[in-house]
This record gives sequence, C-alpha cells and structure tokens, in this order.
Amino acid sequence: MLGVHEFSIAEGLAAQVLANAPAGARVREVEIRVGALRGLEPEALLMCWDSVTFGTPMAGAILQIDQRAWSITCSDCRREWTSPVPFVSCECGNATPIPSGSDELDLIAITVDEVET
Amino acid sequence: MSEQTRTVRLPVMRRVLEANDDIAAATRAELALRGIFAIDLMGAPGSGKTALLEATLRALAGRRRPAVLVGDLATRRDGDRLARWCDRVVQISTGDGCHLEAIQVRDALAQLDLDGVDLLFVENVGNLICPVGFDLGQTAKVGLFSLTEGDDKAAKHPYFVAEADLLLLNKIDLAPHLSFDRAGFEADVRLLNPSVPILDISATTGEGLDAWLTWLTDR
Ligand SMILES: Nc1nc2c(ncn2[C@@H]2O[C@H](COP(=O)(O)OP(=O)(O)OP(=O)(O)O)[C@@H](O)[C@H]2O)c(=O)[nH]1
Ligand SMILES: [Mg+2]
Ligand SMILES: [Zn+2]
Ligand SMILES: [Zn+2]
Repeated sequence: MLGVHEFSIAEGLAAQVLANAPAGARVREVEIRVGALRGLEPEALLMCWDSVTFGTPMAGAILQIDQRAWSITCSDCRREWTSPVPFVSCECGNATPIPSGSDELDLIAITVDEVET
Repeated sequence: MSEQTRTVRLPVMRRVLEANDDIAAATRAELALRGIFAIDLMGAPGSGKTALLEATLRALAGRRRPAVLVGDLATRRDGDRLARWCDRVVQISTGDGCHLEAIQVRDALAQLDLDGVDLLFVENVGNLICPVGFDLGQTAKVGLFSLTEGDDKAAKHPYFVAEADLLLLNKIDLAPHLSFDRAGFEADVRLLNPSVPILDISATTGEGLDAWLTWLTDR
C-alpha cells in the first residue's frame, strides 16, 4: 500500500495546478513546499505525479519538491539546527533535543508556456 | 500572423489539499451547528479500533446518542460488528484507498439521520501514516496505539503523534507477555506533543476505559 498515499496527494496537486493554470497553457514546472511533519516520500510522489499527469497538459512537467527539514532545539545548551530526521542527539551530549516540524503542503508556483498572438 | 509562446512563472501559494479542506470545513460547521462531537479514530491495522468502539458503544448505551462511520478496505465486517451496538452505522468501502477523505465522510453522513445524535465516531482505515494528513471535519483526532505494535511506533510516526488530541495505548492486558518500554514510549510522545493525554486501556477487558469515557463526557 506504500505510495497510495502519495497518489492521492498527486491527484490533489494535479487538480490544484489545473485550477490555477491559464486555460490551454502547457505546464512546464510545478513547485511545492512540504513540511517535515508530513513525512512525504519525494520519490514516491514523483512517480505518482508522472502517472497522474500522463496525457494531460501537465504531462512531463517537472515537479520541484522543497521539503522542509526538522528544526531541532537543545534545551540543555540552547543550540538550534535543522535535520532531515526528528530524533537526533546534541553535540553537548543531550540525547533528547526537541524536534519541531511544520505540516504545510502548498503549491507555491507553476511555470507555463503561454501562447502570444 | 505567427503564434509565439512565452514561458512565465505564476506564483500560486495555495494548499495542495484545498478541495478536501473545504469539504472538511463545511462538515465541521454542520456538526458544530448540530452540537455533535466528532472523533477521527486512527491507528494501525489490528490495533483495536473496532474493539474499542464496540466497548464504547456498549458503555454509552442509553447515555449518549452516537453514530459511527467506519472505513474499511474491502469488507463489511467492522460495520457489522458495530451495528450490533448502534443503529446508526455507515460502512465506507475505501477499496484500495489507504485513508478516508472529507468527501467520503460527507457522503456517508448524508445517509444518516443526524437528529438527536450528539457523538460521531469515524473509524479511519487501519494505517498510521496517511489518514492524519487528511482533514475530515472532526472535532478531535484520537490516535490508538497498542502494546503489540512495539514501543517505537510513536517515534516512527511523528505526524500522527503531533496531531493527536488524545492518545490511547491499547491491549495493556498483554503487558505481562511483552517487553514494552512504557516510559520510553511516553518520552518519545512528549518530544513531539508535550501536552497530549495518554490513556492506557484494554478494549477487551475494559481496563482503563473509565478514563476514556470521562474524557469523552468532558467534551
Ligand atoms: N488482548 C487484547 N486484544 C485486543 C484488544 N483490543 C483488540 N484486540 C484484538 O485485536 C484484534 C484486532 O482488533 P480490531 O478491533 O479488529 O482492530 P482494528 O484496529 O479495528 O483493525 P482494522 O479495522 O482491521 O484496522 C482482534 O482480535 C481483537 O480482539 C485488547 O485490548 N486486548
Ligand atoms: Mg476495524
Ligand atoms: Zn492514504
Ligand atoms: Zn545541547
């Protein structure tokens, strides 16, 4: 069942892209931003995107995924940094710094070919 | 006259799941208007979601007027189990869908007579990963873990833990047979969600269910 999740997201994304693209325009690139909390698998989403957009004006459009990292805060030494995974140790020896991540899943921009007459 | 194309970047800034969120918002408004407290019950396959609802419906009989929506991949089994305890049950067949979406909840609610109902349970598809990302219009998200899944499941599912309004830890009757690090489990939860209540329960023996029923009654 892995990847089915990304399939529904790809479907939602395709609908949102179509709703925001000028009628008839060919879509070249789609930019999205995904919060760390979502735990999205970029590879799976890319595969689903290709299959969902096949035969549409979005076919072949490049999907740029800006996946946000976790923000990690150490409550012992106050160090702050970012990490691709939530549970990490701090240099100071603290094994349980606090992870925080956002859950946004936003369509940032689309790049299209517009026909000029 | 010749046609030319020009490549332009158009800023959008809209939520990818906006269509789902809009339906969920309408459902939430409708449920609030009717005074219905709605729970999205999420947990791994076999964690005991249906067992918990069976025990809960039995305990609430005559005290509350609940309705239940139950998402299931392919069978009617969960719906049939719950229909023994509640006359307002709608089974949502999700086929190969791994989570419920707002439109399925809206359509299932349309099949129910909601007059007098004050509590709605939605049993989501057994899955710790994606149901949490889809708003259904619920009032509260309840996450169900069970001892048999292992004590690392909170750490492995940060979104599930961070979004929960209440966490239940089921199958505590099996504790003597398992090595489940209860303190470690809670420490992982606290890093992701400092304030969420965690209630230890057994859906089959009834242990700890009073605290869950009290939580429900306080809503
Ligand atoms: N020992 C014990 N077994 C339990 C408990 N709760 C549920 N079970 C058993 O766990 C199994 C799965 O329970 P279900 O209620 O069907 O689980 P579920 O989460 O609804 O499963 P899906 O809908 O398939 O995702 C059943 O055999 C239950 O009897 C419990 O508290 N203790
Ligand atoms: Mg079930
Ligand atoms: Zn899913
Ligand atoms: Zn530190």
